[in-house]
Amino acid sequence: MSEQIEKAISRKYDAGFVSDIESDTFPPGLDEDVIRRISAMKDEPEWMLEWRLQAFRSWQKMKEPDWAHLGYEKIDYQAISYYSAPKSMKDKPKSLDEVDPELLRTYEKLGIPLHEQKMLAGVAVDAVFDSVSVVTTFREKLEEAGVIFCPISEAIKKYPDLVKKYIGSVVPRGDNFFAALNSAVFTDGSFVYIPKGVRCPMELSTYFRINELNTGQFERTLIVAEEGSHVSYLEGCTAPQRDENQLHAAVVELVAMDDAEIKYSTVQNWYPGDENGKGGIYNFVTKRGIAHKNAKISWTQVETGSAITWKYPSCILKGDNSVGEFYSVALTRGRQQADTGTKMIHLGKNTKSTIISKGISAGNSSNAYRGLVKMGPGADGARNFTECDSLLIGDKCAAHTFPYIESSNPTAIVEHEATTSKVSDDQLFLCQQRGLDTEKAVSMIVNGFCKEVFKELPMEFAVEAGKLLEISLEGSVG
Amino acid sequence: MLTIKDLHARVEEKTILKGLNLTVNPGEVHAIMGPNGAGKSTLGYVMSGRDGYELESGSIELNGEDLMELDVEERAQKGLFLAFQYPVEIPGVSNMEFMKESVNAMRKARGEEALTAAEFLKVAKEACKQVNLPLDFLKRGVNEGFSGGEKKRNEIMQMILLQPSLAILDESDSGLDIDALKVVANGVNSQRDGKRSFIVVTHYQRLLDFIEPDFVHILSDGKIVKSGGPELAKEVEATGYAWLGKPEEAGA
Amino acid sequence: MSDWLAQVIDRADAVSDALTPQRQGALAVLKAQQWPTRRTEAWRYTSLHPLEDMTLPALAADTPAVPDVAGLDSIDLVFVNGALQGSLPTFPEGLTVGGLTDSAMQAVATDVFGSVKPREHLFGLVNDVLATDGVVIDVAPGAQIKPALRIVNLVTAGAEAHHRILVRVGDGAKVTVIEHGAGAGTSVNTAFAEYKIGDKAALEHYRFALHGGEAIHMGGAHFSLGDEAKLDSTLVGFGSQLSRLDYDLVHDGQHAFAKFNAVYLLGAGEHFDLHSNVEHAMPNGTTEENVRTIVGDRARAVFNGRIHIHRDAQKTLAELNNRNLLLSRGGQINTKPELVIYADDVQCAHGATVAEIDDKALYYMRSRGIDREQALVMLNFGFIQELVNEIPNEALSNWLQPLLRERFSGMQVRP
Repeated sequence: MSEQIEKAISRKYDAGFVSDIESDTFPPGLDEDVIRRISAMKDEPEWMLEWRLQAFRSWQKMKEPDWAHLGYEKIDYQAISYYSAPKSMKDKPKSLDEVDPELLRTYEKLGIPLHEQKMLAGVAVDAVFDSVSVVTTFREKLEEAGVIFCPISEAIKKYPDLVKKYIGSVVPRGDNFFAALNSAVFTDGSFVYIPKGVRCPMELSTYFRINELNTGQFERTLIVAEEGSHVSYLEGCTAPQRDENQLHAAVVELVAMDDAEIKYSTVQNWYPGDENGKGGIYNFVTKRGIAHKNAKISWTQVETGSAITWKYPSCILKGDNSVGEFYSVALTRGRQQADTGTKMIHLGKNTKSTIISKGISAGNSSNAYRGLVKMGPGADGARNFTECDSLLIGDKCAAHTFPYIESSNPTAIVEHEATTSKVSDDQLFLCQQRGLDTEKAVSMIVNGFCKEVFKELPMEFAVEAGKLLEISLEGSVG
Repeated sequence: MLTIKDLHARVEEKTILKGLNLTVNPGEVHAIMGPNGAGKSTLGYVMSGRDGYELESGSIELNGEDLMELDVEERAQKGLFLAFQYPVEIPGVSNMEFMKESVNAMRKARGEEALTAAEFLKVAKEACKQVNLPLDFLKRGVNEGFSGGEKKRNEIMQMILLQPSLAILDESDSGLDIDALKVVANGVNSQRDGKRSFIVVTHYQRLLDFIEPDFVHILSDGKIVKSGGPELAKEVEATGYAWLGKPEEAGA
Repeated sequence: MSDWLAQVIDRADAVSDALTPQRQGALAVLKAQQWPTRRTEAWRYTSLHPLEDMTLPALAADTPAVPDVAGLDSIDLVFVNGALQGSLPTFPEGLTVGGLTDSAMQAVATDVFGSVKPREHLFGLVNDVLATDGVVIDVAPGAQIKPALRIVNLVTAGAEAHHRILVRVGDGAKVTVIEHGAGAGTSVNTAFAEYKIGDKAALEHYRFALHGGEAIHMGGAHFSLGDEAKLDSTLVGFGSQLSRLDYDLVHDGQHAFAKFNAVYLLGAGEHFDLHSNVEHAMPNGTTEENVRTIVGDRARAVFNGRIHIHRDAQKTLAELNNRNLLLSRGGQINTKPELVIYADDVQCAHGATVAEIDDKALYYMRSRGIDREQALVMLNFGFIQELVNEIPNEALSNWLQPLLRERFSGMQVRP
């Protein structure tokens, strides 16, 4: 039986093609000069460069963290190129018609058409290709509502006061090794600003694509939701199939002012490497939001890609009655390793958090949940509920759970539960007796296992995520 | 003794009781029957003050006092007892400790001296015998690992110990075999002294063969739709609740 | 390296006895140890500053009384500051007991010493090199020892003591061992025990860590279970200035059953850190673990409960439940249950809660006339009582109840 399951989950990676695009790429290596050149390429103001340099200097003094349950060869930070952009982007195309058709085709192939008329209605897209943003759609429509949605490189120039005020305010530039590296070398990413009381009229989404060999992608996203505003944002990521590992170290900061709500969803499908663990993206990401009074931040992630995932989207529940949520599906197979989870830091009174984490391990992979729930001394009446379930497929994989609970408030309540299970022979037998093949049965069981998380995704993407899992579990059943 | 006037009450967002009137005089036994979802259990919870069961309008007075102004424990101390349909298990707290604390809380409210451990043990043993529970039940955690029937008998034992002025029995017959049913009924009958009143909530007429009610009320969709003597229960037994014109599943 | 550790190593070099060859290995590891800081994962929530900063007062002249457990059928061995008081009593057939370095016990001692306790416990290593006192117990295969063997370990103010217990329970044998630690005043002690439980053997085990609020206590109990072996272990601890216990339960055989219940109640300013580690190295094992803590004013409870299912340990059932109550502001609870799983056909679960109140139980009690405050106290104590009720030895259970109740009533409840 388990052999059949093994076959059912052997995967094929649909997004693994390489686009033939001529790029300007920095030679590998990192020093202050490289950072100055990145800043110059982006035509940045002096303060931004200074900020980057300070981040770089603190990074140089930092040690790469080794506490995660991950094993990988040491990354040579001098062997990575820190900037790569399609040549055609140099002249900054003014409209979609001026964009290199090969670039547009890349996104089309990935199922993200960038022509507005072809797109999903109600979704605005910022497409980031290696180190630059290719295009951001529906900008005018959003501007009518007062919403700013643009590449962060552009925001630094156009809205310096906003960027200056909030960048590094949630994830300080020296927060951790990878955040510091990102702060020094980040190239692009999205900036979102929702003014007071505005409900963003459409879903916002950024699509990240790594294409160039031996480059790292270091994007930075900043979302500010002013008082009483509301926004739903989604990011997707893919990369070509290559034998070399590539580094992706992103930083995402969310600021939800009083009564604001930010919903942040991720469908991460970076190239995971082959069955033997060759190639794949190293994904080291710092994501954190701060919620002021009555605000709500909700993280939903579906993580199916990357060779290494190191990622803990977190909420600082600073304001009274603020709410934090984390819904996660992490699927690992082959030689993938994931160490992911969340931190819920309860500071305000009556703050609430919910953590639902579903880990699926198959093949020779390793999947760990790591989380922190902290109840500060001022978190009167705060509540947390955490549920971590692991599903093991096959007898060569591993599933781990490392929840940290820290409470200093006698009126705060924390509940944590974790279970492990496998796709049982009984379940499979039942499905097969009802005429389903193993592949379909496993996929159905896994989908059922993830249901609680999928229902948190925006509609259009829930379907996509379901399909992604299905593709991931697809294979030939003999 | 008990006067309920035009009671409207809701659970969460849903109104369950929609204008219920009921008067119970000292010494009377009232049976409340009705289909599932009529609001039978809700009545007991509202009267006892369970969280989440909210009074919308109307009043409940026990011995001339407005119950709705009081906390759960104060209502109990005023003589209201609710025998639960599904008594909760409290592991680690022994039945003995729990009942002693409870009996003495009642005594304190009445301005009486607390019972000593020895005095309490004596009355507890007696009550245990009366409901046919082995003595080691006193040592076990409250309802912990008790069977359904044992839980029900434990409720009746508590009633005997606490000597309430009004006892509400919420489906104390459900899930019982005939022998256990008799034990429950005997326990109740032993407490009928002409002053103590009872509200017996039940789905079936069966219990009323053993505890003869003075009045029978039919509760449907949050209201008492028909009242009568014991013969009404027999009528329901014969015809069911279909004549109410509502499916059994209606309501909460 | 801290000064404290440096002086341990200095003194260790001077220790020379029958266990010296075993101690040498430990000493080499100890010399290579880093002194833990808050960045050391195993010491994340426990600071060793109290140990580094401590100056021991003059050794108290009078010996504390041996705690009496009414109705307990036991053979007592009493140690004061590590040293055995009086001579060894006679033991029933099948039970052989001797001092740690008695030549008659040497075969058992060398067989068990360091064979169960993992090397990574810093203070276990300290105990390895410094514990010259202690007891070796050998239970003959098949022996059913009725009286409990109680090892009373008293530590007086001003003392530093290192105590070791080595136990081999032969195949099919059955025995009860009580490690009864007590004391008063400022002192330092390490106490580690290793138990090798043979095939089909059964060990009923208790550990009472009641050293008083001023003590520094570092200890551990480590068990290996053979095929179909059975362990029923209970730990009761009150806090102290600094307490750290490491438990290791290793399923070395198949179809073994391990139950471990722990209760700790911490008074004002006390610290208690329990790390438990369950290793399912073989298939078909079962572990049930329950850890409950009540934390008073400015006290801190730390728990790390790891369950590790090895690649081949299929059909394992392992469950860990950890519940905590924080009674007042200023107290802290740090808990981390861990699952590390490498086998798919297993049932493993853990749960951890802080300050969870059963609303239904509270309503039920109030509906019986008990006021909210009192109902909460009863529920809170019931939560400890529940584990005490599971203690198989009635005399110990009867002795513990009032002791815990008194402790609990002295704890400051919610501001």
